Amino acid sequence: MDLFGNLGKIFNASLIYATFRASTPIIFAALCAAITQQANILNIGTEGIMLVGAFTAVAVSYTTGSWILGVLAAMMGGACIAMIMAVGHIKYNSEICAIGMGINLFAIAITKFLMNVIFHTNGTFSDPGIIAIPRVHIPFLDNIPVLDTLLNNWCFTEWFVIIFIIVLQYIFYKTVWGLRLRAVGQFPMAAQAAGINVNAMKYQAMLISGLIGGLAGAHLSLGYSTQFVENMTNSRGFMGVAAMYFGGANPVLTAVGCLLFGFADSVGARLQAYGFPAQFVLLMPYLVTVLVLAVSMAIKLNAAKKRESSLIVHGTR
Amino acid sequence: MKKVLSVVMASALCLGMVTPVFAEAADADPVRVCIVYTGNLGDKSYNDSCNAGAEKAVEDFGIELKSLEGSTAQEWEANLVSACEEGYDLIIGASSNIADYIVKHGPDYPDTKFAVIDTTVDLPNVESISFAQNQGSFLAGAAAAMFTEKTDIEGVNEDAIIGWVGGMDIPVLHDFYTGYEQGAKYINPDIQILQAFAGSWSDPLKGKELTLAQYEQGADIVMNVASGTGSGILEGAKEAGLYAIGVDLNQDNDQPGSVLTSMVKRVDNACYLVIQSVVEGTFAGGTTQYLSLTEGGVSLTDFSVMKEALGDKFPQDIVDKCDELAKQIISGDIVVENYEGFGPNS
Repeated sequence: MDLFGNLGKIFNASLIYATFRASTPIIFAALCAAITQQANILNIGTEGIMLVGAFTAVAVSYTTGSWILGVLAAMMGGACIAMIMAVGHIKYNSEICAIGMGINLFAIAITKFLMNVIFHTNGTFSDPGIIAIPRVHIPFLDNIPVLDTLLNNWCFTEWFVIIFIIVLQYIFYKTVWGLRLRAVGQFPMAAQAAGINVNAMKYQAMLISGLIGGLAGAHLSLGYSTQFVENMTNSRGFMGVAAMYFGGANPVLTAVGCLLFGFADSVGARLQAYGFPAQFVLLMPYLVTVLVLAVSMAIKLNAAKKRESSLIVHGTR
Repeated sequence: MKKVLSVVMASALCLGMVTPVFAEAADADPVRVCIVYTGNLGDKSYNDSCNAGAEKAVEDFGIELKSLEGSTAQEWEANLVSACEEGYDLIIGASSNIADYIVKHGPDYPDTKFAVIDTTVDLPNVESISFAQNQGSFLAGAAAAMFTEKTDIEGVNEDAIIGWVGGMDIPVLHDFYTGYEQGAKYINPDIQILQAFAGSWSDPLKGKELTLAQYEQGADIVMNVASGTGSGILEGAKEAGLYAIGVDLNQDNDQPGSVLTSMVKRVDNACYLVIQSVVEGTFAGGTTQYLSLTEGGVSLTDFSVMKEALGDKFPQDIVDKCDELAKQIISGDIVVENYEGFGPNS
């Protein structure tokens, strides 16, 4: 089809919001993984924590009729799951990847089981009784064409994630707690010598990670959509972990990585409509990840090499 | 002690050998049926429809039913093989995704009866049932093309653009699309159709994103052909205040007022019929049944939910025209094209 005649329909203002909308769940997931990564724990269980959060949010919102309780319960649920991982990893010294994968499989099974027991249904649970996270409607934007599509009717949690990125960035790099957390992650023995309780810091990181993961799940099931579906995270937790690596556990850079995923996804969704092969479009987000990781590593290596060679030059003089 | 144990074990062995003979003589064993799904139950669409047919067979014939769900290709193959090993009387592959594995493993179990719904497998112990989804989709496409012109209905824009979101990119879905496109162009040759695949049967969030993207590109009605992914498509329609067309089961009530109609595919009938054939001993391996508009294998719903939602704004002419088109297809005045490899004679 005539792709170029339709460029205006692919790259328009709504693409920006679509990108952000698709990225938000991944940003939450990536932040969940970033905080433990700072303490040198690879939280591969992000996916499972999110899924449990998503289910808890829907279940509590449906039974109590309050989205706030739903979100809070989801965060608690996420924290419980994270603490299981924390005890296994920190106290009993088991391999974090193994527990994480275990948690992911457990989450799929337990949510499926509980959905069957509590709601007597399979696969999908959607009901008008599930109260969604409200959308922020800004009345005076209604009449401004571009800003209206861009900023109006965002989900509450979508605004929150922006604030949250900045807050985490501040906590990691400008507070004593953040410094201690990073010290624990980079050189635990030195941290311990400096009088930091390493295990306590790790527990705290896992606890907060669980709270964020639960919130990520609540956003999926009460914000991004209003239903719970079996395995509804569909690897978004893993994409979050990948984005966290891309950003080196730095909240802002990590969020940029997530936006890149979201952008590739959203452009893909629009390109498909004009006869682009679906198979190609669907692998775009992953292709972009590989490319960006490769380029960023190449730049890093190059810079390191340059530094090295200039040292040698200085040394010979 | 050892002696006692060996006597007990030996008698247990003998009993084990004798029992099946007894059972066969009494003919009390129910027919054992296993359905292998390529997705999960609870999709309120294709799989649930199939399950409804099987449940009806349980009620009518007292068969023993086992359902195996799975969302990845590895699980599908493992489920099929374990069903084969279990020695069921009939194993039903619920969708065309399973066909390759039946081709691969079916010949190893020549005494097991297999059935596959939604595609054709040419093996002596496999009965195939497929649908004229192209005919049903032709009507859905025509309805969508007429609907996108009704600018007095809230949310419908000026552009003659309609959408279509599928689950996985498999040949059956292209048969849907072929009919949808032909039907839409039959009404308006200049219409533009946006097509997208989610790449999954169980990712409603992806379905929702694709649907919203098509709305943002000017579509005002999107057809859902995506099983579990489809609940997101219908939710997207509701959220954007726009419209969708349901699939497989009657989905008009899933998001009332946002679903114009549903292209119903009687997967339940197919499943029921094939179980019935095994129970009654008329199972015919190596044959294909083709359920079209004529046999009621596919159809549109009666639009009643939308009628109620729109009140006197409801465009009755769409319903009348669809009825007329259906008659023309049945009489052969309109020939709906098939995607390569589909149709009554394939």
